[in-house]
Amino acid sequence: MLIILIKSLIIGAIGGFAIAAGAARMFHAPEVQSMGAFRTLGEINACKGDAVTHFSFGLGFLFNAAASVVAAGALTQDVFHRIVPNWAAGTLLMKDKRVENTLHDPAKMGVAGAIVGAIVVAFLNTIASIIPESTSIIAKNILSPAAGLMINPVMPIIFWLAALDAGKITGIWGTVLGGLAQMVMGNAVPGIVLGILIGQSTEENGYSKATKTMIALVVILFIVIAYFRGFQDKILALF
Amino acid sequence: MNRFREILLKDYTFPILVALACSAIFAGTHMYVVHHVGAFNEIFVVNMLDQGLSGGDYAAAAGFAAGFLVARILEGPLVGVLDIGGSLMTGVGIGIPALFLASGITAPVNNYVLSLLTGLGIGIVIGLVIILIRKLMPSGIASAGTNIMMGAGNATGRYLGPLIIISAINYNIPAGVGAFIGAAIFYKLDKPIAGGAILGAMILASCFPVVA
Repeated sequence: MLIILIKSLIIGAIGGFAIAAGAARMFHAPEVQSMGAFRTLGEINACKGDAVTHFSFGLGFLFNAAASVVAAGALTQDVFHRIVPNWAAGTLLMKDKRVENTLHDPAKMGVAGAIVGAIVVAFLNTIASIIPESTSIIAKNILSPAAGLMINPVMPIIFWLAALDAGKITGIWGTVLGGLAQMVMGNAVPGIVLGILIGQSTEENGYSKATKTMIALVVILFIVIAYFRGFQDKILALF
Repeated sequence: MNRFREILLKDYTFPILVALACSAIFAGTHMYVVHHVGAFNEIFVVNMLDQGLSGGDYAAAAGFAAGFLVARILEGPLVGVLDIGGSLMTGVGIGIPALFLASGITAPVNNYVLSLLTGLGIGIVIGLVIILIRKLMPSGIASAGTNIMMGAGNATGRYLGPLIIISAINYNIPAGVGAFIGAAIFYKLDKPIAGGAILGAMILASCFPVVA
């Protein structure tokens, strides 16, 4: 238990610092390369300036994360996508309302993020291990089938429809690469994502050098993954 | 603090930030493998790693995560935002450990300090690649692709709540009742219904255990 606590504090502090500083850099993108997600940026913007909103937004996801930890030992992506950036922002905004001095400052966000990260990760990892096993079993039996349905077929369908709605070229690339990905990787989503990138790039710039490079990379990627997954055996079995 | 702020906004600090994030995420996977807690990802993604840990078949985890990792690393520099979910948490946190374990290299995953260092090294490389792509290819792949994926990603998040409710109802009656009542309460409170469904199902299923 003590080992889990110490490891978690270190991991949370390191990760929290990097993620919160990366999130602050998002307000300086695209000139500055940042990390986070567009949905994180949108959500932070939605509660910008209000510490209470930032805290309650993060708290909602802490409940989800706690249940997920209990269910499967998985912290959910929300810890770094939502809880740490929003709680770091909320902590800073309690002292100073001006977002350009707090939320947009990678140094302050980094320090606040390190503290929040250490506490949140340690809290989640240790709480999960003292929850009775029977409760974890219930959660796992409920969440695993739901999560399984989510990854196949719900996610592929949503991404597929998004690709089809985005125009002819994107729809074709998304469909072909999605189908190949489902066949080779067992899930269509990575293929559809690549199809959307290629299709949108083509629709805006034609088959430019950048697009062709991207297509070449994707072809190599598919061949490499197919090889490592032993797809050639399945092909050979056809003959 | 102002000097620190300026340094943190430089191009060359980006690989360092990615390295630190990867270090934490990779060590999180170490914690999951050793202590069964601490992986920085969704249950369904961690389940793919579990398939490898229990059955030795890491193909699903490696294939899924590698696709995301490459796609996100190519996309990140073009739009200025690296998606940490797909690239770091899924690619580095699940895909690379799966590749290591599938190849029989267990030390970077099983040893805590080594896992922190391995993540650090992987992150430096990813960060440098992204900064390099930015320098080499200022314009090219459309940023419009990101909007479509964002929309799809957000839409995906909405499905989890109803799926949990259906799954809880299929599990047993108390869990099912707890799930939809919890979800309704969370909806009333403007919170994500997935949280209410999970908590409601777990509370009622614990209070009224049904022997399956």
